[in-house]
Amino acid sequence: MATNEQTAIIELKHIDKHFGSLHVLKDINLTVHKGEVVVIIGPSGSGKSTLCRTINRLETIDSGEIVIDGDILPQEGKKLARLRSEVGMVFQSFNLFAHKTILDNVTIGPREVLGTPKKKAEEEAMALLKRVGVENQAKKVPAQLSGGQQQRVAIARSLAMHPKVMLFDEPTSALDPEMIGEVLDVMTELAREGMTMVIVTHEMNFARRVADRIIFMDEGRILEENEPEAFFSAPGTQRAKDFLNTLKERDR
Amino acid sequence: MTIQELLAQFGDKYLQALITTYQLTFISFFLATILGVIITVMRVSPIRPLQIAADFYVQIFRNIPGAALLILLVYALPYLNIVLPYFTAVLIATTLIPSSFCSEYLMSGMNTIGAGQIEAARSLGMTFMQMIRHVVMPQAIRSSVLPMTNLLVATMLTTALASQVPLNPTDLTGIVSYINTHAVGGITAFLISAVLYCGTAVIIGQIGNQIDRKVRILR
Amino acid sequence: MTNGTISIRDALYESPGPKAKKIIAAATVLSLVVLAALIYLVIHQFYITGQLDSRYWSVFARASTWRYLGKGLLGTLKVALGSSLVAFAIAMVMMLGRLSSIRPVSWIAVALIELSRGIPTLLFIYFFFLVPSQFGIMLPVYWKITLPVAISASGVVAETLRSGVNAVPKGQTEAALSLGMTDGKVFFKIVFPQAFRYVIPSLIAELVIVLKDTTFAYVVSYADMMLNARVLISNYDALLAVYLVVAVIYIIINYLLHRAAVFMAGHRKTAAA
Repeated sequence: MATNEQTAIIELKHIDKHFGSLHVLKDINLTVHKGEVVVIIGPSGSGKSTLCRTINRLETIDSGEIVIDGDILPQEGKKLARLRSEVGMVFQSFNLFAHKTILDNVTIGPREVLGTPKKKAEEEAMALLKRVGVENQAKKVPAQLSGGQQQRVAIARSLAMHPKVMLFDEPTSALDPEMIGEVLDVMTELAREGMTMVIVTHEMNFARRVADRIIFMDEGRILEENEPEAFFSAPGTQRAKDFLNTLKERDR
Repeated sequence: MTIQELLAQFGDKYLQALITTYQLTFISFFLATILGVIITVMRVSPIRPLQIAADFYVQIFRNIPGAALLILLVYALPYLNIVLPYFTAVLIATTLIPSSFCSEYLMSGMNTIGAGQIEAARSLGMTFMQMIRHVVMPQAIRSSVLPMTNLLVATMLTTALASQVPLNPTDLTGIVSYINTHAVGGITAFLISAVLYCGTAVIIGQIGNQIDRKVRILR
Repeated sequence: MTNGTISIRDALYESPGPKAKKIIAAATVLSLVVLAALIYLVIHQFYITGQLDSRYWSVFARASTWRYLGKGLLGTLKVALGSSLVAFAIAMVMMLGRLSSIRPVSWIAVALIELSRGIPTLLFIYFFFLVPSQFGIMLPVYWKITLPVAISASGVVAETLRSGVNAVPKGQTEAALSLGMTDGKVFFKIVFPQAFRYVIPSLIAELVIVLKDTTFAYVVSYADMMLNARVLISNYDALLAVYLVVAVIYIIINYLLHRAAVFMAGHRKTAAA
């Protein structure tokens, strides 16, 4: 899918980052094109979550350059806020606003940030909630929903901002096994509709099915970058082979 | 003394005492809340000296005994050429101590929100002020109802410090020692004050519970 | 990377950009100047009123001063210890009453707890100071301060113990009952020991309440640190210095108790994990 003619939405150039003495991102270069689904995998501690979080500056970088849709990622202020409103983010722990109803969770972004009128925001929100299958929970508060339902609401909350790209930071890692499917289904649907997505996940079957490109990270470096079939059938590095083998062991 | 005799002789004094206690309680609580908010803002600010100073303030006033603070304000400050009226000195003591607890409650109320929701607000493109207004403040306030109710009761109990300085009219504790030095008030004199204190505490507690039930955030 | 352990302090403000960094740096400098000015004002006030004069502070160069304050502190600790033990005993009875399935018993316990929590310590102190003597009962001064401080703390402690009991999982009771234990045995052998362990940090924190209340010992003329400070003052005419130092000692003791409670709470959490 990704051809050179397509516009780059995210460009990461020579990204370096330390946590104290720990070198967590080492000279990362990555371009994500419009409509592309990029899945980042790797062992825990490989820096994949951190990388995902640098894209909307939830983590800062030490050096390098992040370009979003042609503009350098602003470092602060209204410009940064505006950019973030264009980049959707879905967290491992859902992070819904605990004091707001499901409907208000989805409308608060458009209403406060985009200035959408209440009625319009609510119509759109209801449509999105329907799309992720939780429309009959609209009046409840997050704590009354299952993890899977909460995560689907979180996706709807991001979609309500009409983002140019969606970031998923291990969206199913905090879920009970029986709820993972319902969240992955929503994400699969999004991918099919052409949403640009960057996904950090441990769900290999999902990655294989949905990804246009797999990024394999280990110890802060991108070790491999390949199409899913090629990567999973013939990983090019020993690290990737070991990683896939451990996963297979675990699933057995 | 029977309760009738006591009230006939000292009834209006009790009323004045109740008013003094209520005055001290509500003025202190109001000021302590404002001060507590300011201190909390300093504590969570990114400005290191303010953080340290505010932390220090909280540790001083949550750990100083009320009697020690009042004695410093009433008897020690004049040596620094600062002479406060008794009522003001009591008011300062019963404001400073609760303000430190107020800040502690607000801090723990804010801590229950968690970094995740703040990151989510940021990711939606909210500015700092929008995040404070729509995510942090509403949750901090709603989860502070019960602690603040307890703080109001605690403030009332602290105002008994007023009995340690000559005040006219005195407070609900001062009146008991006043009556017992002027007449044999016996247990009844205590009972009246005790009922007024405790009744107020119970009412405050009930109102607090009612409000909390309405605004509590499910987690 | 994980959000669980980050406090609001670190989360509220994101890592500053270049403009924010400049503002923070300026604010830091400004706040330092303001704080320094405040400290200067205080010291200046001490200076112009002559309170920095060595004759006020030389009291603390004498060993006898510290011995005397130490003796007072011992009195303070005696009251605090006595009050804590009595408060715990009363609190146990209140808590058991409150958890009782006999309605009137639990109502009475609730009423007593509310009374204890809703009445200022000073009122209890005046009660024990003034009333027993009217009935010809001569209480030793120690008990005139220790009993009211204990009663005043007991309600809070009772509620703390109850919260501990409620925190013990129901399964523990069920398991013990299914072993054939009697209700009493289940409570005292299984439930309460666990409950007690849960609330140790809170109980330590509540020692601060007791210690603060002991400072009213001067009302009944019991020789605690506060009263001994007063004696020192009348001997040396150094009121400000002595009361300031005494206040700092109280603050430090309470701060250490507070830290101990926090440490125990953290310790328990890691032990449970």
